[in-house]
Amino acid sequence: MTPASKRFLPPEAIARIARLELRARAVVEGVLAGLHKSPYKGQSVEFLQHREYVRGDDLRRVDWKVWGRQDRLYIKEFEEETNLRLTLLVDGSASMDYRSGALSKYDYAATLAASLAWLALSHGDAVGCAVFDEKIRASVPARTKRSHLSSVVDVLETSRSNRPTAFGPVLRSLSETLPRRGMVVIISDLLGDREGVFQGMQFLRRRGHDLVLLHVMDEDELTFPFEGPTRFEGLELPEHIACNPRALREGYLAAIEEFLANARKRSAAARCDYSLIRTGEPVDAALVQFLSRRSSTAV
Amino acid sequence: MPTFDFFSLLWWGLPLAAAPILIHLINLLRHRKVQWAAMEFLLASQRKFRTRVLLKQILLLLLRIAAVLGIVLTLAQPRLRTALGQLLGGSRTAHVVLLDDSYSMSDLSAGGRIGESSAFDRGKLVVERICEELTAAEGRQELAVGRFSSLTGRKFDIERQTVTPQVVQMVRDELAGLVPSASDCGPREALAAAVEVLGEGTGAADVLWLVSDFRACDWKVADETAQLLRQLSDAGVELRLVDCAFGALGSTGSSADFGASNLSVERLEVVGGVPATGVLVPLEVAVRNNSQNVVRDVQVELREDGASRPGLRIPEIPAGSVAVQRFEARFPQAGSHLIDARVAADAVAVDNTRTAVIAVVDRVDVLVIDGDPRGGGRAADAFYLTAALAPGSGAPTGLRPRIEPPRAITTLDLMAFDCIWLLDVERLDPAEITALEGFARAGGGVVFFMGPRSRAEEINRTLYRDGEGLFPLPLAGPVDLLPEGKNQDPVPDVVVEEHPVVAVLSGQRNPLLDAVRIERFMAVDRSFDDSKEKMPGGVGVRRLLSLRTRAPLVVERPFGEGLVVAVLTTASPTWNNWARANPSWVVVMLEMESHLARVRRRAELLEVGDDFTVTLAARGDESEVDFLIPPDGTIVHQTAAVTPAGTLQATLRATLSAGAYQARWRRLDGSERERVVAVNVDPDEGRLERILREQLDRTLSGVKFQYDSAESLQPDANTFAGVSLVTPLLHALLCVLLLEQLLAYSASYHTTTKPWRYV
Repeated sequence: MTPASKRFLPPEAIARIARLELRARAVVEGVLAGLHKSPYKGQSVEFLQHREYVRGDDLRRVDWKVWGRQDRLYIKEFEEETNLRLTLLVDGSASMDYRSGALSKYDYAATLAASLAWLALSHGDAVGCAVFDEKIRASVPARTKRSHLSSVVDVLETSRSNRPTAFGPVLRSLSETLPRRGMVVIISDLLGDREGVFQGMQFLRRRGHDLVLLHVMDEDELTFPFEGPTRFEGLELPEHIACNPRALREGYLAAIEEFLANARKRSAAARCDYSLIRTGEPVDAALVQFLSRRSSTAV
Repeated sequence: MPTFDFFSLLWWGLPLAAAPILIHLINLLRHRKVQWAAMEFLLASQRKFRTRVLLKQILLLLLRIAAVLGIVLTLAQPRLRTALGQLLGGSRTAHVVLLDDSYSMSDLSAGGRIGESSAFDRGKLVVERICEELTAAEGRQELAVGRFSSLTGRKFDIERQTVTPQVVQMVRDELAGLVPSASDCGPREALAAAVEVLGEGTGAADVLWLVSDFRACDWKVADETAQLLRQLSDAGVELRLVDCAFGALGSTGSSADFGASNLSVERLEVVGGVPATGVLVPLEVAVRNNSQNVVRDVQVELREDGASRPGLRIPEIPAGSVAVQRFEARFPQAGSHLIDARVAADAVAVDNTRTAVIAVVDRVDVLVIDGDPRGGGRAADAFYLTAALAPGSGAPTGLRPRIEPPRAITTLDLMAFDCIWLLDVERLDPAEITALEGFARAGGGVVFFMGPRSRAEEINRTLYRDGEGLFPLPLAGPVDLLPEGKNQDPVPDVVVEEHPVVAVLSGQRNPLLDAVRIERFMAVDRSFDDSKEKMPGGVGVRRLLSLRTRAPLVVERPFGEGLVVAVLTTASPTWNNWARANPSWVVVMLEMESHLARVRRRAELLEVGDDFTVTLAARGDESEVDFLIPPDGTIVHQTAAVTPAGTLQATLRATLSAGAYQARWRRLDGSERERVVAVNVDPDEGRLERILREQLDRTLSGVKFQYDSAESLQPDANTFAGVSLVTPLLHALLCVLLLEQLLAYSASYHTTTKPWRYV
C-alpha cells in the first residue's frame, strides 16, 4: 500500500462496520475531505461548456449560433440547476456472494452504492436505488431528502437472493419506469447474462440516461491464485470442476482478460463510463478514483 | 537381465510403486471445495486444456511411479549381467571352484592339535568368500562350483552361470548342507572336469580355484594332475590354489605338519578258515598310525552284528606303521554277519571304523572226484581225503565233502563249490576239462592228486597242453623215490617250501612231517624248470612241498582267477604214508582247502564311490531290487537290467557312505534273497601327510599358479571386471525426479509460499 492509499479505509476496516449506513458515512467523509466540486453535470442557467453533438442529444440544447458560425453542431452544457436523479442499480445475484477478503462483492457494491447515495443526497440530488438479480428484488424511487438514505440502505441490506442474473429484462424494465433522465450507476460483476447488460444499457442510453458501470471483481477472480486439488462449485451455474487450479489458470486468465476487454469495449460502445473495481481496493479509494474520473470528464 | 545384491528388497519395495496411484486416488477424495462465481471461464479453460492436463497428469503419475521404482532398484543394488553390461565396460570372467571333499578334509587337526573346524569348513568359507567377492566385482562374473566327489561323475554342484545374489545365496544354501564325503577322490577327476569347462577357451578371463588340503596321497599321480593344471595354464586359465589344511595356528606347511593323531582301521577281513556255522573263523584287523608319533595302548572296539564283543588292545603302533591283530569269531547261525572294528575318535573320524561282512553257511560243500570207478572203500584216496576235510562231529570243520565220479563234473553246478578235488582220475572228457577250466578261471580251486591210474601223457595232452591248460606242469611219469644211502644222515622225504598253506609246518624241523615217507611220485618232465616258468604278471608255478631230491611234490599255479594245485603223489597211503595217522595230513589238507577257496570266499571289497552290483538269476529272480543304504537303512529301489553280456544286474551307483549295504530281492517262487556287502573308506586317504610346497613347486614346474592358505586368501575384487548399475541408475533417478518436479510445477501440483485461501 502506497502512503497515499493509507488515507483510505481498507476493506477490512470497512467490514468491521456492521451497518451499511455507517460504512457509507465513513467512506464519504473521507472522500469529502478532499473533494469539493460536484461531479454531476446537468441543465442549469449557468453555462458550463460546449461539447460536440452526439447522436441522441436533445436538439434543444444545440447551440445554433455556433452552428451558424462554424457549421458544426455543439451542445451547450450548463451547471445543473435542478437535482440530479441518480439511480443506483446493484447486482444482488448469487455470484456477488464470492469473497476472498473481508468484503464480498455484494458487500463492496452495497457500500459503494450507499456512499454514492450519501454523496448525492448531500448535494441535494435525488437518489433512487434498486437491487436486482433476474428481476428487481427491491427498489426505492429517487428522492432528495437526506433521510432518504436510510431507505436506500434498507434496500441494499435486505434485498438479497441466490438467483442468477438477468440484466436484459431488468434494465429494459428500468428504462421504461425511470420517469426522467438521470444518471444510472450499475454496480455488478457482470457474471451471467452479459449480453443483456449491454442491450439494457443501450435502452437506458436511448432514454438519455448517463450510464456508469462499476464492474466489481474479486481479486481472486482476476488472478486465480488457487493451488492444490480443488473442487470449484458454481455459485450461479450448476456445474462443478475438480482440478488442479494451476493447470487451468492460464486458460482462465485468458478468458477473464477477454471478458474484461469485451466489457470495456461494449461499455464504450454504449457510451457508458466503465470502471473496473477490485474488492481488494479500499472502497473510498475506488470512490475517489471514480469521482475524479467523473470530474475530469464533466462538461 | 540385471541382478540384484539385495533381491529381497524388491519384494518389499516394488509394491511401493502403487503409492503414487493411491495418493492420487486419495487426493481425488480430498479436494478442497470452493464456491466459485466465475465458473464459466473455468469451464472454458477446462474445455480448452482438458487433453493437455490429462496427459500431464498421466505422465506425472508415471514419472512418480518410475521414481519410486528407481529408488527401490537403486537400494537393491542392481548389476547388469547382459551383453549390454559387457558393452558398458565390464569383461566376463569365468570362475570354476573345485572343492575337495575327500574325507581327509574332515581333519580337525590343523595347526597341530584338534580344533573345532575342519579343513572342509575352511574350504566352505573360502568358497563363500570367493562368491561374495565376485558379487562385489565389476563386470560379468560366471561361476561353477563342484566338489571332488561330484566331479568324478563330471557333474558340478553349481553349473556354470552368471554370478548374481541369487546364485550366491544358492551356493551358500548348498554349502550349508555339505559335509566331507567318505570318498578318497583326488583332484585329478575334478581337474579333468574343469578342463572340459575351461580348457577349450571360453573367451573369458578364466580363473580356477582349487580348494583342497593338498595331501600327499592325493598327489601320488602328480604327473597326471600336473598335466591337467598345465593344460589349463596353457589355455590362459589363472590358477589359484587355496590350502585349507595350512595350519591356522602357525603351521609350517611341512610334511611334518600332518595330523596330530589319526589312526585308520586299514583292514578287517577273514583270513582263512571256513565260514560255516559253529566254526571258528579267523579274522585280522590292521590299524595304521598316520601320525608322526608313536601311539600306545590302542583299544580296538569290536562289534558283531551290532553287539559289542571283547575288543583288542594294541600295545603300541610306531609312527607310520601298521599293527595287525588276529581274532576269531564263531557264528551260530547261517547268513550275513557284520563285524565292525573301531578305534577311538581322533582328527579324522571317517577312517576309524571298518566293517566286514562274513557270509556264513551251515556247511560248505566240497566236490571230490574219485578216479576209482569201483570206489575204494576205506583204502581209497577219497576216504583219506574226506577224513581230513570232515573228520567228524568232534572237530567240526564246516566242510561237507561230496564224492562223485568224473562225469559229475558236467552234470553238477560247479559254482556251488569252492574247491574241486580230483583223485587219481585216469582221464577227463573235453567237456569235463572245459567245465573245470571254467570253474578255475572263475576263481575256484582245483586240486589234482596223482595215483596209479594217472597217465602222464594223457595229463600233458589234455590238461597241461603246453602250459595252456589247467594242469600246472608237464609230467614225465611215475617214479620211485630212491631210498637214502645208508651212510648218510636221515633226511626227511618232504621239504617244506615257503607258502602260506604249509607255513604252519615251516621253520624248525617238524617231527610230524619228518615222519612222512614218499615212496612213489609223478615225476616232472625234465625239460620243465618251475623256477623259470613264469606266467604273465610274474606269477608262475609255486612249490608248497618238495622232495628231498628237490623234485616238486606239491605245486600251485594260478589259472584265471582261481588256483590249481597238483599233488604229485597219492592221497591214500598207496605211494606214501602221509595220510596214515599223520596229523600234518589233516592240517595241510584243511589249509589247502581254505587257501584254494579264498578267492571264492573272499568277501566283495567295495570302497566308497564304488558301484554295488547284484547279479540276478534271469529265470529265477524277480528284477526289482531294494538297496538298503547305511547308516539309516534308506531304501533305494532299482530295477535290474540285462547287461550286454546277457546277465541280469541291478546296480547301486556310486556309494556315498561307509557301512554294510544290503540288497534284497525276491525269487520267482516268492522266497527272499539278500546280499550284504561292506563298503569302506580308502584307508590311504587317512594318511594326512601333505605335499610340501617345494614338492608342489617342483611338481607344477612351469605352471604359473598362486598359492594361498585359506586364512590369508584375499580375493582382489578389483581383478574381477564388471558393471554395477547403481551409478547410472542414480543419474536416471535424478533426471526422473527433476522431470517430475518440472512437470508437477507445470501441472500445478506444487504449492507456493502464498497461502491457499478458502472462501
